[in-house]
Amino acid sequence: MELQIDHVSKRFKDKNAVRNLSLSLTPGVWGLLGANGAGKTTLMRMIAGILPTTSGEVKYDGVPIETLGEKYRSVFGYLPQEFGFPQEFSVGDYLSYVAALKGLPPRKGRRRIQELLERVSLANVQHKKIARLSGGMKRRVGIAQALLNDPEVLILDEPTGGLDPGERVRFRNLLSEFAHDRIVLISTHIVPDVEYIATCHAVIKNGKLRATGTTEELVRLVEGKVWSCTVSSEEAPEYESRLSVASLRSEGDGRVSIRYLAERPCSADSHLVPPRLEDLYLWMFPQNGGENERRRERA
Amino acid sequence: MRILQLELKRLLKSRLTWILLALALVFSVLLAYLPASYCYSNYTDESGKAVNLTGPASIAFEKERQADCAGSVTPERVRAAVERYQACLAQYGVTESYDLPEGVYEQEILPIAPLLHGVKEAFADPDTGMAPALSTIDAQRLDDYYGVCEARLASLMAMEQADNSPAQRKAAQMYDRVEKPFEVYPGMSPTVMDYQNIMGFLVLLFCVVIAAPVFSGDYQSGADDILRCTKHGRRQLGLSRLAAAFLISAAAFIVCVIVYLLTANSLFGWECTKTSIQMVYSILTLADMDMGQLQRFFAVAGLLSVLASVSFTLFLSSRCKNTATSLAVALVFGIAPTVIYMTIPGTAAVWICSLLPASGTGIQTSVLYALTDFEFLKLGGLPVWTPYAMIGACVIEIPLFSFLALRSYCRHI
Repeated sequence: MELQIDHVSKRFKDKNAVRNLSLSLTPGVWGLLGANGAGKTTLMRMIAGILPTTSGEVKYDGVPIETLGEKYRSVFGYLPQEFGFPQEFSVGDYLSYVAALKGLPPRKGRRRIQELLERVSLANVQHKKIARLSGGMKRRVGIAQALLNDPEVLILDEPTGGLDPGERVRFRNLLSEFAHDRIVLISTHIVPDVEYIATCHAVIKNGKLRATGTTEELVRLVEGKVWSCTVSSEEAPEYESRLSVASLRSEGDGRVSIRYLAERPCSADSHLVPPRLEDLYLWMFPQNGGENERRRERA
Repeated sequence: MRILQLELKRLLKSRLTWILLALALVFSVLLAYLPASYCYSNYTDESGKAVNLTGPASIAFEKERQADCAGSVTPERVRAAVERYQACLAQYGVTESYDLPEGVYEQEILPIAPLLHGVKEAFADPDTGMAPALSTIDAQRLDDYYGVCEARLASLMAMEQADNSPAQRKAAQMYDRVEKPFEVYPGMSPTVMDYQNIMGFLVLLFCVVIAAPVFSGDYQSGADDILRCTKHGRRQLGLSRLAAAFLISAAAFIVCVIVYLLTANSLFGWECTKTSIQMVYSILTLADMDMGQLQRFFAVAGLLSVLASVSFTLFLSSRCKNTATSLAVALVFGIAPTVIYMTIPGTAAVWICSLLPASGTGIQTSVLYALTDFEFLKLGGLPVWTPYAMIGACVIEIPLFSFLALRSYCRHI
């Protein structure tokens, strides 16, 4: 089982959203990391077959997905970043509708719907109109529909947006159980959501693939670049503007502990700390402070 | 099949659909009753008191008053009616019926009025088209009444289709095939057909409103991305959506037209449906039909027009990214035939109105009015009577726009 993204590019009128991107996805959970506008959603829509590529192909087990057509879609599950529902449907009606479209026999469909409603904690609202659900509940309905056909390839675009911390934990657990022998690709801004469940990550920037690897492999890229120091709370804003700060924590005595990314320590009392995936994300997609500092460093 | 069922369920779950279907049904009954409510009669009873009748009572009274006219419109009966008319006017020394003393017209002329229908038209001046007064017509010529009608049709077509001699020949052939003598059963009003037209037009608009969001609604809400990634989410879903919209529209129109005709014919009397359309509209009307056949023919033509409009709306829906646009454009095309008919003169309007999907049951321009008219389109050297052109266009448009809608939906990005 392999999903190949083979030299795929997508050009819109005035923008190259994805540039000659190649990636081979094997069974396991893959995290797709990238800043806003990096091309994650465009890439996922091309994998879903709802956006044609400008060049290159997406292949499943060596066959272009356009050629596979229904066969590909019957083993495919997709949760878009932004999606809606037919307003007239209740949760149960909607899932029955999608189950029929996914080709599930009625009895099997009903069983699977009940099972998933329990898993995403929506069993008590299955007769409620979707339009009346909260944002988090709607996203859980979206997750349930994506899993209905027990897909071999599951693409989830920002699946945890709008979920509360408890729901995110339950979602991670559900996905960990589900991912066995399946290809799951999750794009997210919330790095901790994929840090512990993803077996591999692909980092995409300006439409180009910048790095791939396991969490450990990727984290190694920022090894020796993550520092921690303690400064007075008055100094903190100045550090924040100058550095790529991963976190700030008040120590309670007018002092602030700063975790930051830099090639070199910014102060004598800075010490190296073990890097995390979030640090890599910040390193590759710097905000104002860090970017300024690195520009200075490059200069 | 299961997807079609679910798609039907989905459409029927919408409150808007139910409101529109209920409105269509209410309008069907209301519009069927209105023509009857407009009927008006008056007479003076035995005590000399003026009596006014309206609605069904008036219809019943007129039927009774004109009962002797019922049956075949043979030249002999027409001649007798004209002679009676002329004798009545001569008796009172007038040349027009409106100069008769009060009550005489109701007593003497109205009972024979159905047989007099079309006589003046048949004897119209071949050069000017001006109809003579009944009192000036030579009654002896009525012995060849249908020959006079045929001659009048020839002169009319020479005026209406001056540069289209194939159309003139075609019209003569068609009129030759019309069953004669005509039949008349008093009581039927052409308003019944006008209101059937209005009913059809309203149902058409309602069906367009129901069909407009079928595809664009999901594009707009973002629901489409999920659905088109499913196994049957493209061609099969597209086909099911087309079928569901057609089934609901067809069912709505058929139910409404049945309710309308049952109500209207019950009010006016079922025997009236045996009246030849020449005895209600122009005596020269080319279609070989009685009123019942006209009602059914127009119902079928209206159904085709509704389905063609729905097909076109579904195509628009598959192309537009939001419901407001697809609905607005579809409604514009729904009323376009009426607007074009009123604003664009000449052959261009006839062509456009014949081709637009909603023409079949438009206000002022529809298969009904085309059936009672003498317009022919020149298709190469072939004369095509406009009702046939309208129906032919709908028959082509239903599969054509369905195919384009499906193609557009499957390729939607």
